[in-house]
Amino acid sequence: MTKITRTRTFTTTPRTHLEVEQQSTTESAPPPLIGDAIPAKRDPYTVTTRNAENQLLRHQRQVPIGSRRRRAAIASTSQVPFSQLPYQCFQEARSFLKEDRDDKLEALRVQRERLEKLRQKSGSVQPKDEWRHGNRVRSMRKQVEELKIQADINDPLVKKRFEDGAGDMSRPIYRHLADKQWRSYKRLILMQRITQMNVVPDVLPAIDPIVSTELAFPIPGHENKRIQRLRRVQHGDFVDSALSEKAPTLYVQPYDKGTRLVTIAVVNADVPNVEKDAFDYRCHFLAVNVPINPTDTRVRLGQLGKDQVILPWLPAYAQKGAPYQRMSIFILQQPSTEDATENASLSLDTVALKADSKYNTRLGFKLRSLVDRFALQPVGVDLFRTQWDASMAGVMQRAGIVGSDVEFKRKRIEPLPYQRMGGERYR
Amino acid sequence: MIKAPSTSLLRAFSPLWRAESVPWVARGCIAQQVHFSTAEQRMARKKGMGPKTDMRITLIRYHLQHPLTPRPLRFSRTRALRHWTIHRAWRLYQNKLRLTRQLELERQYNSMNAACEALRLMDGDGLTQEERSKLGAEIEGSNDMGRLYRIAMKKDDGVRADAVGKGVPIEYARIQTETPPRDGWNSAWTR
Repeated sequence: MTKITRTRTFTTTPRTHLEVEQQSTTESAPPPLIGDAIPAKRDPYTVTTRNAENQLLRHQRQVPIGSRRRRAAIASTSQVPFSQLPYQCFQEARSFLKEDRDDKLEALRVQRERLEKLRQKSGSVQPKDEWRHGNRVRSMRKQVEELKIQADINDPLVKKRFEDGAGDMSRPIYRHLADKQWRSYKRLILMQRITQMNVVPDVLPAIDPIVSTELAFPIPGHENKRIQRLRRVQHGDFVDSALSEKAPTLYVQPYDKGTRLVTIAVVNADVPNVEKDAFDYRCHFLAVNVPINPTDTRVRLGQLGKDQVILPWLPAYAQKGAPYQRMSIFILQQPSTEDATENASLSLDTVALKADSKYNTRLGFKLRSLVDRFALQPVGVDLFRTQWDASMAGVMQRAGIVGSDVEFKRKRIEPLPYQRMGGERYR
Repeated sequence: MIKAPSTSLLRAFSPLWRAESVPWVARGCIAQQVHFSTAEQRMARKKGMGPKTDMRITLIRYHLQHPLTPRPLRFSRTRALRHWTIHRAWRLYQNKLRLTRQLELERQYNSMNAACEALRLMDGDGLTQEERSKLGAEIEGSNDMGRLYRIAMKKDDGVRADAVGKGVPIEYARIQTETPPRDGWNSAWTR
């Protein structure tokens, strides 16, 4: 029987679809009995010779795992754990780093004590000193967080675990490493796409993303299967209309601790307005009070509760002949409550919002107005684009959108009559 | 009978004659040297015959003759992690050394600064203005105030540790003492 093992990923990004997981157990080969015709059981991880591989296949019906080079390496190395490998320089480096880690832990303990004493004094702080006291508490807290990261940053096992994608996001060091990795490449790409596509001055004046976003649409035709397969979309990709018909799944990864509530708004900034000869905004999705966590990052936009969704998902559409339309997704953090230790956020009143005519209509939706009204802070952004394709008409009809047979044509501009100027112009 | 010329010079400089003084690991290196002639050695030779070459020397030679020098190494996963750990530890150690040196220099500078400030506020009797008023002694004219400080700040005159300008090296200085006084011994003094 063929055994499939879990493949190793180097990133912390979530998987697009579930894989069948089965850990194969390695069996230790028993010593061969003298005069016994039964061959010893072979380990699929350590067979090296062709003969052994054939025997494994024939007698145990197992396929050898990994390349022959890998199997030879596993067979020839001992089972010493990585941190105890007998290399002198490495062990000395480890002991030096351990001393440094102990120093950092001691400093952390001292700083925590100081913070505790300061917090106890905060009851007796005069109003004129409140701001300064608050500043001291904030900077002490920042120092505590920094010390936590400095204690673990030199650990090779932490680095290995993070690179294998097994980092626990509830720990600050893995969040720090993931944040650094995101900012080194993917965030740069995101900002490039956002600024190139002019999402930022058009929909919101400015944005500084601090949460990473990943968008994935459910593949149509797989709904009744047990596993819902998703197709990942890169920032700024063109998405087929059939794919964007159903509400997507958004993976929002914050890099600081605590659960917070966010508002998710999907705004189309390129709705053509023929009378104005300009473009309008249209909101394709609006949900409030969505909880986001470093460990629990999946938000299925189609499965949010009635008390969270204000405008349900409207498929992205663009009329024939119109240029491509930008669908921007904004993650807006709701303001935090008074006790700002664990990022607890204020809940917005869904009923009031549903009744407010400014925010329950799709066409003419102003995201700036929503942000200003509720003091929301933009923390994340994503983008995909849509244009007319073969399945768009069907999508529009199924969604009940009027105008699937409309075609935009360019207005013919009469050229200016040729007027010959004086002779000196053509010298 | 013609006496054969002395081979001492030849022994000293010819590599072939000095093969015995070479360590056994480098024997293969000598044997691997380029031949005098640039023509290819086309003679049919038996496989496995020829001087026993040392693989380590071969590898070192390949490493040093690589077009990209230093040669880019490819490490296995655990080898790379060990290298990273050692690198982090070494950088941390160097930073700690640098910081201690920096702090020591800062401490020395601050100490000198404090000393100069104390001198600036001191007059000829070794008291500052507030000490004088506390003791009740009369406040004299302040031309003596900070005299030693001004002397210390002169860069083009007097004894200096760094001998800047017309300064004299500090080794020529006399240690400041309470006695004998500046005016020296007055031989013409009478009662």
